[in-house]
Order: sequence, then C-alpha cells, then structure tokens
Amino acid sequence: MSQLHWYLLVAVLLFCIGLYGLVQRRSLIAMLIALELMLAAISLNVVAITSLAGGDAESATGNVSSAGQVVAVILIGVAAAEGAIALSLFVAIQREVQSINVEDLSELKG
Amino acid sequence: MTGPTLAALLAQFAPLAASAVVLLALRQWPRTAAALAIAGVAVSFAASAWLVAAVAVPGRSLLAQAVFLPLDASHNLAFGVLLDTLSTTMALVVSGITLAVMVYSTGYMAGDPGYARYYGFLALFGWAMQGLVLSANLLQTLAFWELVGLASFLLIGFWFERAAPAAAARKAFIMTRVGDVGFLLGVLLLIRTLGLATIPDVIAAAAPGGALGGRTIGVAAALLLMGVIGKSAQGPLFTWLPDAMEGPTPVSALLHSATMVAAGVYLVARLHPLFLAAPDVMRALLWLAIVTALATATMAMVATDIKRVLAYSTISQLAYMLMGLAAGSVTAGYFHLVTHAGFKALLFLSAGIFIHHAHSNDMREISGHEPRAQRAGVIGLVAGSAALAGVIPFAGYFSKEAILGAVGAGATPLVLALAYAGAALTAYYSFRMVFLTLVPDARTHGLTDAPAHGGTGARTHGRTPGEQAMGATVLVLAALTLVLGYLGPWLQVRLAPGEAVRAPFEFGTGALVALGLVAAGIALAWVEFGRAGAPRIGFLERVPAIARFCGDNWYLDRLYRATVVRWAAALARAAQWNDRTVVDGATDGMANGTVGGGRLLALVQSGNVQAYLTVAVLLLAALAYALGRVTVVP
Repeated sequence: MSQLHWYLLVAVLLFCIGLYGLVQRRSLIAMLIALELMLAAISLNVVAITSLAGGDAESATGNVSSAGQVVAVILIGVAAAEGAIALSLFVAIQREVQSINVEDLSELKG
Repeated sequence: MTGPTLAALLAQFAPLAASAVVLLALRQWPRTAAALAIAGVAVSFAASAWLVAAVAVPGRSLLAQAVFLPLDASHNLAFGVLLDTLSTTMALVVSGITLAVMVYSTGYMAGDPGYARYYGFLALFGWAMQGLVLSANLLQTLAFWELVGLASFLLIGFWFERAAPAAAARKAFIMTRVGDVGFLLGVLLLIRTLGLATIPDVIAAAAPGGALGGRTIGVAAALLLMGVIGKSAQGPLFTWLPDAMEGPTPVSALLHSATMVAAGVYLVARLHPLFLAAPDVMRALLWLAIVTALATATMAMVATDIKRVLAYSTISQLAYMLMGLAAGSVTAGYFHLVTHAGFKALLFLSAGIFIHHAHSNDMREISGHEPRAQRAGVIGLVAGSAALAGVIPFAGYFSKEAILGAVGAGATPLVLALAYAGAALTAYYSFRMVFLTLVPDARTHGLTDAPAHGGTGARTHGRTPGEQAMGATVLVLAALTLVLGYLGPWLQVRLAPGEAVRAPFEFGTGALVALGLVAAGIALAWVEFGRAGAPRIGFLERVPAIARFCGDNWYLDRLYRATVVRWAAALARAAQWNDRTVVDGATDGMANGTVGGGRLLALVQSGNVQAYLTVAVLLLAALAYALGRVTVVP
C-alpha cells in the first residue's frame, strides 16, 4: 500500500458516508451537509492524485505541481456558493410548505 | 333543347322544386305548402298532357340525352328523357293521380300536424315516379327506382310515431330491396355489355342478331324481373303491400295506382322486347303471375278491413297486367295499368271517405255508420268496384278483356282457364266489399244506431271545403272509369302497331264467358252478403281453417318469420356480438391496456427523491463498472 492508497481510502470513506447521509437523512439541511462531505472527498482525491501519483509536472522537473491544489480551492469555492444557494432555497421552501422534510415535498405521485 | 325536352324536364322538376321548397322552408305554413305542392304537380300534369299530344303520332319517339360524367370510351353517366306514347301517357297518369290525391288530401289530412311534410313527400313521390317513367337509360331508371322506394317508405311510415306504420314502412323498404338486388345486378350486366344502356339501345341489342347473346338476355331478364317482383308485390314478395295499408289512405291510393307498384309493370312494358327475347323467363313470369292473382284473390275474399281487400285486389290486378305482358301483348298489360290506376285510386279515395267518417277500416263497422249518406263515396265505391270486377261499360272490362284475349292467344288453355277463374273471383270479392260496406247488417244495425246518429247530425250541416274537395275528386275519377276504357285502340296503334286492333265492343266467345263469370261472381256475392237476411259470411269464411289461412297471407309471413327473418336476425345478432365484443373489445382493450400499463409504471414514481437518488447512484456505479471492464481489457 503506497501513501496514495491511504488518501484514496479516506476519500472513499468520506464519499460513502456522504452518500449514506444523502440517502438516509430526511432533512434537507442534513442532506446538504452530506453533500458537502462528498464534495470534500472529491477535493481530497484531486489533491492526493495530483500531488502523489506522479502528476503532469513531477516527472519532468521534480517539483510538486500546484495545479491540483488550485482546483481543490476552486471546488471549495463552488461548494460554498452551492451551499448558499441551497440554503436560500430551503428558506423559501420552509416559508412555502412549512417543512424542509423531503417526504413532505413531493407533489407528483403516480 | 327542343320543346318536348323542355316540357319533359318541366314535368319532372316542377314537383321536385315544390317538394324541396315545402320540405325546407314551408313546414310552418301548411296551407301554403299544400298550395305550392299542388301547383307543382299541376304544372307537371299540364306538361305531361302536352307531351302526350306532341308524340301522339304513331311510331314517333324522341330521345334527348346529355352526358354529364364521361368515364371512358364506352361508359358514361348520362341524364336524358325518352319520349314516346308509353312514357308520356304514363307520365300523364302519374301526375294526374298525384294531383287527384293531393286535392283529395286537403280534406282527408286536414289538421294533421305533419300536413306540410305530407305534401312535401307527395311531391317527392311524384318527381321520383316521373323521373322513372321518362328516364332514357337504365342507370337513371335505377336511381329513380330507388327514389320511388324511398318516397314510399317515407309515406307508408308517415305516422312514424306509431309502431305499426313504422314497421310497415321498414317491411316495404326491405322486402322491395330483396328484389332490387337482382335489379341492380341486371342493370350492371346490361351496362357492362352495352356501355351506356340507353333503353332503345337495349331493345335493339335484344333483337335477333343484336349485340346481346341469348344467355345474357335470359340472365338479364331474370335479374330485372326480380326487381319487378319486389316492386310490384308479386309472388313470394307480396306481403309488404297489405301491411303498407298503415299509411294514410290517400297515400295508398297513390301507391297502388300510379306509383310504386306500377313501376315494376311499367318497366316490363318499357323493356318488353328484351323480356320477350327470353321466353323461358316469360313463361315463369306467366305462372308466377297467375298463382299470385289467384292466391291474393282468396285473401281478398276473407279480409274484413276494406283497405286490405283493396290491397289484395291490387296485387291480383298487377298480376293480371304481368300476365298480359308475359303472354306477349304490351298493349293489354299497359292498358290495364292505365285503367287500373284510375279505378284503384277511385276505390281507395272512396274508401277513404267512409274511413274518414266511421273512423274505422272495418267494413262491418263502416256499414253501421250510415255509409249511404256519403253520396260521393257510394258512387265512387260502386263505380270502382264495377270497373275492378269487369262489368261491361266500365274501364276494367275493356282492359281485362284485352288481357284475357292476349292470354288466350299466347298461352295454354290451362292458364286461360285459371285467368277466367281469377276474373270470377275478382267480381265476387269486389261486390262482397260493396255489400259489406254499404248494406247495414240487419242483426247489428240496431246496436250501432246510436253512435251513428251523432255523426249524421254533424254531416247534414253542410260540408267543409276539404270534404267537398274529397267528394269532387272521387266524382271526377268515377267519371274517368267510364271514359278510360275506350283508350285501348288508341294505345294499341301507338304501342304495338303489329298487334291486331280490337274494337271495344267486339263480343267473341271469350268476352261472353268472362261476362258470364263476372255476373256469377256478383250474384254469389249478392246471395251471401247483399240480399235481405243474407248470412253475411262468405263460402271461404265458413271453414275456419281456410279463413285463417287466407286471412294471414297464406301463412307466408309466418314462414318468413320462422326462416329468413330468423336467420337474418341471428346473423344480425352475430354481427352485433362481433361488433360489441371483438371490434369494440379490441379498441377498448387497447385503451384499457394503456391506462393499466400507465398505472403500473406510475408505481415507480414514488415521489421519494432519495429513492431516485439511490437508483441513479446504483446505475452510475453499474455503468462505471461496465466501462472499467471494457477499458481494462487491452
């Protein structure tokens, strides 16, 4: 097991926890948090792979590329924006339906 | 266009125009509607009279035809008129009788809610029959033939809100349709062989050495004859006519004299050379006619409804006309058609006067309502019955004499003997009708005296204009029965120049035998019904089984109900089952399947977003696994 594998294992764990939370929790807020976990797992993957798995620049120069870290930072920014939009939507939904439980939010049923 | 052509078009289309205006625009104005319809038919009558004069020269005939739809080199659709003595005199008879019936109906139908509709249908009937009579080719004949059937359907079922007239109208339409299938096939056969089957072409093609072979002529004649049998109520297809009595009485007068039933006989006269070229068919027709004449005479001998007696007598007389035609004389058959039109219309219209007053068709009822107070009715009934029986100065004598002469010349002695027997029976049942209607039954008269008085009081107070019109029409027709009989030689010179001309008062053995038989028939009727203390029961009615047999159309209707009608009904039920179950089932199943399938698939639509998410993730994982496997393989 190389060093990279440990990082990837942690990322898989994070992703699965996030997925479990997304599927299992009924509150929209909790689902959003679980989603953030999954995004964190992706970011971790990106950083780990670009730093440790012999990314584009390392073989040529011996320097560790910083491109992965830049992408990770952008991902965090996107996640924050997404969280802001989602939360504002949840507020609107709460006002409309008096609930943020996903089970109460379905109107089209067969 | 020449003058005669224009007159012929006027004779046809004046009633049509009147009918269209009445039916479309004048339903709310009955008196205007009646006046317009009468005017239309009067124009037609005048035009027909002029036409008769225009083609009265022996051997003259005019054909004008315009192709309106060319199909290919030899097949076209054309509309035209064929004018000769046969068609123009028939047109005159048709329009004359229609006019008489219309004038009469102003009284008879007064106050009926469907008054305007009635006149519209009468004018339609007049148009259809005029078109049939004057038509130049067989396809046109076929079209008007069906229109005549439609018009009679509408008029027989005029009181359609009651069950019996509606059923009678359907029966008339469907039974004639059975024969019309043959007629259609015959016309198509002739059209296939001759292209545009113009009537003179057909006649020319049927002559020896013409375009038609002997077999084709035989088949075509037999098929056309099927239509004639249906239309003219002969042989096995006669039972619609007695039921058609459910229509208003003036309609019966029209239907039985100049239109509808006359159409079949007229067609045989029109295409007489074609039919003569098929001797086997003619022999069959002769026997069919003689059997029909005798069978319906026995039915007329036991009927107690005055209109039914007249209906059976019509069938019997039509059979006589066909007998004359089948025996080879076009004049005899057609002459009887003309005289019969006059006296049968007269009989129905006089019967209508009695029915109008007694409010019953039953002759025994009528005799209890002082029938002799109806002067015009009495004169009409007696004159008409004398003509029907063949009493000497009346029209029926001369024409029936011509037919018996033709049968004597062209058929076997056995047929002739049967024809004479039929003449005797005719005399018997017509005077049975006269005595039953006009002589009050001494035994029951006292009982029916009281209601009769109420009616008499109303009658003696002067008559309405409508009743005067009824009486006047009947008197005019009664006068005609004394005149029409002298038409014979005039017709003969123009219709069949080859036949020997017979003077009206030429007494051979045949005429004397016929007169003797007629006198015997009348005497028997007088003994049984007329004299004081008569038993008022005929020799046939004394045997209940025979009376029932004859009173029920010889059980033919029962036979049809038990066989053909039942099979047709079973077939109809099977078709209905097929329609309801198989056809409807297929479409219903398709719709139900779609709905059910939708329901089933909708169960997937749980509304639970996390379930969707799970499915999506699993599918993505499966996709990733599959793609990974593919790429792993080098």
